[in-house]
Formats: sequence, structure tokens, C-alpha cells
Amino acid sequence: MAEVTAGTERALRGGSDAARPARRRNYSVRRLPGFGVIAIFTFVMLYLPIVILVAYSFNEGVSQARWEGFSLQWYEAAFNNRQVRDVSVRSLWLAVTASGIATLLATLAALGTTRTSRFPGQTMIYALINQPLMVPEVVTGIALLIFVAAIKVQTGYTGMGYLVAAHTAFCIPFAYLPIRARLETMDITLEKAAADLYASPFQAFRYITLPLLVPGIVAGFMLGFVISLDTVVITEFVKSAGQDTLPTYMLGQLRRTVTPEMNAIATLFLALSLMIVTAFFLITRKRGV
Amino acid sequence: MAAQGAGQRGARDPVQTEIDIRKVSKVFGQGTAAFHALTDIDLQIRSGEFFTLLGPSGCGKTTLLRVIAGFEQPTGGSLQIDGKEVAGLGPNQRPVNTVFQNYALFPHMTVAQNIGFGLKMQGRPRAEVAATTDEMLNLVKMEEMAERKPSEISGGQQQRVALARALAPRPRVLLLDEPLSALDLKLRKEMQGELKRLQSETGITFVFVTHDQEEALTMSDRIAVMNKGRILQLGSPHEIYHSPTERFVADFIGDTNFLELPVSAVEGAEATVTLPGGNGTAARLPDGMTPRPGEKVITVIRPEQAHLVEDGPADLQAEVETAVFFGTDTHVHLRLPDGQGFILRRQNVDHMAEPAPGTRVGLRLSPGALRVLRG
Repeated sequence: MAEVTAGTERALRGGSDAARPARRRNYSVRRLPGFGVIAIFTFVMLYLPIVILVAYSFNEGVSQARWEGFSLQWYEAAFNNRQVRDVSVRSLWLAVTASGIATLLATLAALGTTRTSRFPGQTMIYALINQPLMVPEVVTGIALLIFVAAIKVQTGYTGMGYLVAAHTAFCIPFAYLPIRARLETMDITLEKAAADLYASPFQAFRYITLPLLVPGIVAGFMLGFVISLDTVVITEFVKSAGQDTLPTYMLGQLRRTVTPEMNAIATLFLALSLMIVTAFFLITRKRGV
Repeated sequence: MAAQGAGQRGARDPVQTEIDIRKVSKVFGQGTAAFHALTDIDLQIRSGEFFTLLGPSGCGKTTLLRVIAGFEQPTGGSLQIDGKEVAGLGPNQRPVNTVFQNYALFPHMTVAQNIGFGLKMQGRPRAEVAATTDEMLNLVKMEEMAERKPSEISGGQQQRVALARALAPRPRVLLLDEPLSALDLKLRKEMQGELKRLQSETGITFVFVTHDQEEALTMSDRIAVMNKGRILQLGSPHEIYHSPTERFVADFIGDTNFLELPVSAVEGAEATVTLPGGNGTAARLPDGMTPRPGEKVITVIRPEQAHLVEDGPADLQAEVETAVFFGTDTHVHLRLPDGQGFILRRQNVDHMAEPAPGTRVGLRLSPGALRVLRG
């Protein structure tokens, strides 16, 4: 998990080539024996299942193994399925809300940990903010289950608040990392220059720091959004009756017969994720500052 | 508000103090780990002058600039700008603007927006911001680039924008933190002239930080040479170059000969020292220094203040070790009778022959050129 996020953080710094150490000229990993074979094998294993999944979403029959002709009927079925519509809307609403709150909190946390003089316990704060990345999801899930149950008994409230809170907490580190990375690579003299040019601390933030931070904030939001959209374990433990999200609904459906309707839903899901990632790259490239 | 142009400023009393620094110190850290970046700085910078803080890296010149700008608060002493105490005020509350070493242009704003930023933050009316921005673009000859982003213009152009941005709010004082160090030699020469022009056109007090002694000598009205958090000598480029009082100053600025010579007599601010070979000559003493006769002192003389004599009386004799031809001048490395080395710079007026190694030559020193340094 930690490795994945470190990689993501690097990728989210916005492809800044300058930050990458210069590759040694005489050594190229490409020339190692078996490089091509391993690379192709890895790509095939990574993408072939997804290609098959997408292909069979257009299958005319119910089979996941035999091609019977092209059809959009499963997409039609998915769109007409009320339950699918409901859980999709819930998932999107939850992802936007949780990721939005998480991004706001993560921005404040990132400012607090990069734009202040070092304070005792700062490393501890980093660890606490990133805790959801370290603790196994299932442990968080069970802990939340017990905790939420206690609150439910006390208050009687069974709304979406629990899911929003749980997803928010889980999204914070994902939003925090790209925002902090952006703040750390930002030239601090820009803010000094703003202060020198009579900007109050708030004006310096409003006109300099915030506009330059936007790519990081957008990246953080999108990452949080995708993570929330995808989370199964925590949702499964925290949700009350009738609060299925798209992933938990799909998981539930798998226990029955699997029709290409599932493929269609998964394909749409995939398309949404791709759109978000593409949008992110376009935004960061355009703002290449 | 500040003057509109050179006329009004020029008419002011030339010795009016713009920045009054008294007993300012800056200590980083505490106890045994404390680092004294500035120690008892006393400095009065005059209104409208081009003032340079010169010294090697780590001498405290940039810290002093940052204290004046308000990025650092002094740990002791008082700091007045235009007669008002500013110690404790933030950079946005001081009538001072900075040109940063890396320019620090706002990358998401156009050149025009960068230049107008200070005025906008001061809450000036939109029309005034636009008019002053145009005026500044014109002043630094960047009208065509107004709508470009900083990443779309060259380093020299970024430098001009940084200057225009800092000048636009018409500060009392412009602080320049080694602004030319990122430019190549040709551009640097060009910008030196440009800076002088801007300073005389605006009449604003410039405080310039550099480690480049040549830059300091050519541009400044006055120079403060700093080392280890203290100001060692303050004076005009002429005084600093020709009358250094400290060994560090003499060594840091220009090429220098140091000679250790015995004192034979002292009269007022002048000592008579004995040159190798026995001749006595006058050497000026720094303020408050009176060596005893017989005491050895360190004296200094510039390489161009000694001359080869073909015939006639010489102050001392020397042996030529090598002669290096530099085009406009030749550096002659000499060995004095007592073993001390000496470099002499000779202007090549005509096709003059280089003195051959091993030749014995006579040397004459420019009258009054020899100076005693504070021990």
C-alpha cells in the first residue's frame, strides 16, 4: 500500500522531468536479457482481463465465454435497472461529498505541515494523517462497525453520515499526499515576494499560494474520488440497510448468476475512471507551472 | 507618497538618511549552537544613493538585506526607514521592495499582472494600476511582452520584469539580492548599466547585495564591506579600493601586495617604514593606530601603484621571476631582496618588451600609495 502511494505521489508531482535524477548514460535497463518478454507478459496480464470484460459487455448472449454477436442490450438493461441507478447515484454522491470534505481538510493539513516552522511531533502528525494507508482496511472496517453500532444505539441515527465520515477519513491521506507534494515543490520565495509587495498573509494565500496549489487540490480530489468510488471493505462494514454503493451492489450480485450486465456496469465504471484520469492530466498539463 | 521622478528627489538634501540602522544584531539558534549572523551593525544609508553590501557568501549581507526587507526580525537594535521605526513590522508593512535572486515572478500571472501586483495589493484604483503598469513596462522596455507568462520570456527579460514589479509601487528603498548572478557575462554588463539608469531615473534608494567586487566598484555610490556579520569598512569605491584599512578588505577587493615592514618613525597619521633594501618611505596609518618604532606592520599597495624604473632613483630593487602578458597590461611577478613576493601591473602603452626572468629591476612606488593595515 505504501509503495503504491509513493508511486502515485511521484506521478502526481506532475511529470516534472527536472525532479527526476538524470539516468546514467551507459546503463540501460532495457538492454537486460528478458526485459522485453517480461514487459509484454506484465502488460498482457494487466490488461487482457479488462479487455475481455469490456468485450463481453457487448455480447449478445448471456455467456461470459462464448461470443454471440454485438449488442448494447446489457447497457440498456443496466440503465433500466432501478437498483443500479440508485446505487450509482449513491456512490457518486458519496464519492463527491467524502472526497470534497477530505480535500478541504487535507489542504488545511498540508498547509499546516508545510507552511509553519517545524514543531515538535511533526513526524507524528504525518503518521497520524497517513494512518489509513498503514492500517489494514479490514481492521478499520471492524473498528468502525463496532464504533458506529454504538453510536447508532445511542442516537438512533442511521443516515448516510456514517459512510460519509468513514470515506472522508479514508480519503484524507490520498488527497493530502499530492497537495503536500505540490506545496513542497512550490517556490517559497513567491509567497515572500507577495508579502514584500504589500499582500497580507491572506492575500498572499488567495492570489499566489491557492492558484498555484489548484493542480494539487484537483489531483487530491480526483484521487479521493476514485478511492471512495472503489472502496468495498469499509463500506460493507459501515453501511446500513439500503445503503449499497456500486461496488458493494456488484459484489452482492456476484453471488447470483453473473450476466454481462455486470460487465456493462463495470465498463461504464472503468470509462468514468479513465475520464477522470485524463481530465487530471489535461488540467495539470495546461497549468504546467 | 514617494516622488514622481528624479526631479523632486534630486532636489532633496543629498545627505538625508533613508535607512538608519543602529546596533542591529541577528542571532540564529540559542546557547552554544547560536550563530551570530549580524553583530552590532551601525549603518546610515542616504536617500537616493546606490548603496552596496559587499562580502563573501555567509558574511551576513543577505541577512542584513532580509532584516531591512522584514523577512527576518533583528534580535537587537533599531531599524528606521524614512524616520519610522520598522523593527517588528512585516514585509508588507514596509515601504521597501525586493528584487529576488531568482526573481520570484508569479508563474501563473502575465508580465503585466506581475508588475501590477504590488499596486493592486495596496488597493490602488484599477485605472492607476493599469497606467503605472504601462509606465513600468515602458521604463524597462518590455511593452511587447506584457501579456506573456514569465516562463515564455528569457532570463534577462525576467530580470527586467522583476525590477519593474519592485519599482511599480514606488518604494522608498529598492533591495536587490544578487540580482545579476544568474545572468551571463554580457547580459550582466548590460543590466549593470540598466540598473544605474533606473536608479537615476527613479531617484529611489538602491541597496544592492553582491559578492562581486568589480560589480560593487563600478555601480555603487558607497560600499560597505562585510565579513563574519560585521561591517569592516564603509566608504566610496575609491576609498575602499585605495584606502583599505583592514587586511580582509584589501584582500577581498582587487589584486593586492601585502608587505611586512618595520616602522622607523611615527608622526600623526603617517608612519615611516623601511623598505627591503633600506630606503624609508611614508605609509598612511588607519585611524587610531600608532605602532611603536621598530614594530613590524602589514602594509598594502596595489599592483598598479608600483612602477619599473629604467634609470634614475628607485625606492627598492627586485628580481623578475615571470612576466605574464594580458593584452592591455602585463603582470610582473617579482622577488624582493628580503624574499617577499611582489606583483606589479604595467600598462602596455606601446610595444613594450616583457622584462626577462632573472633581471634585476628598480621599483618606484606611487607617492602616498603605501598604507598600513590594522593588525
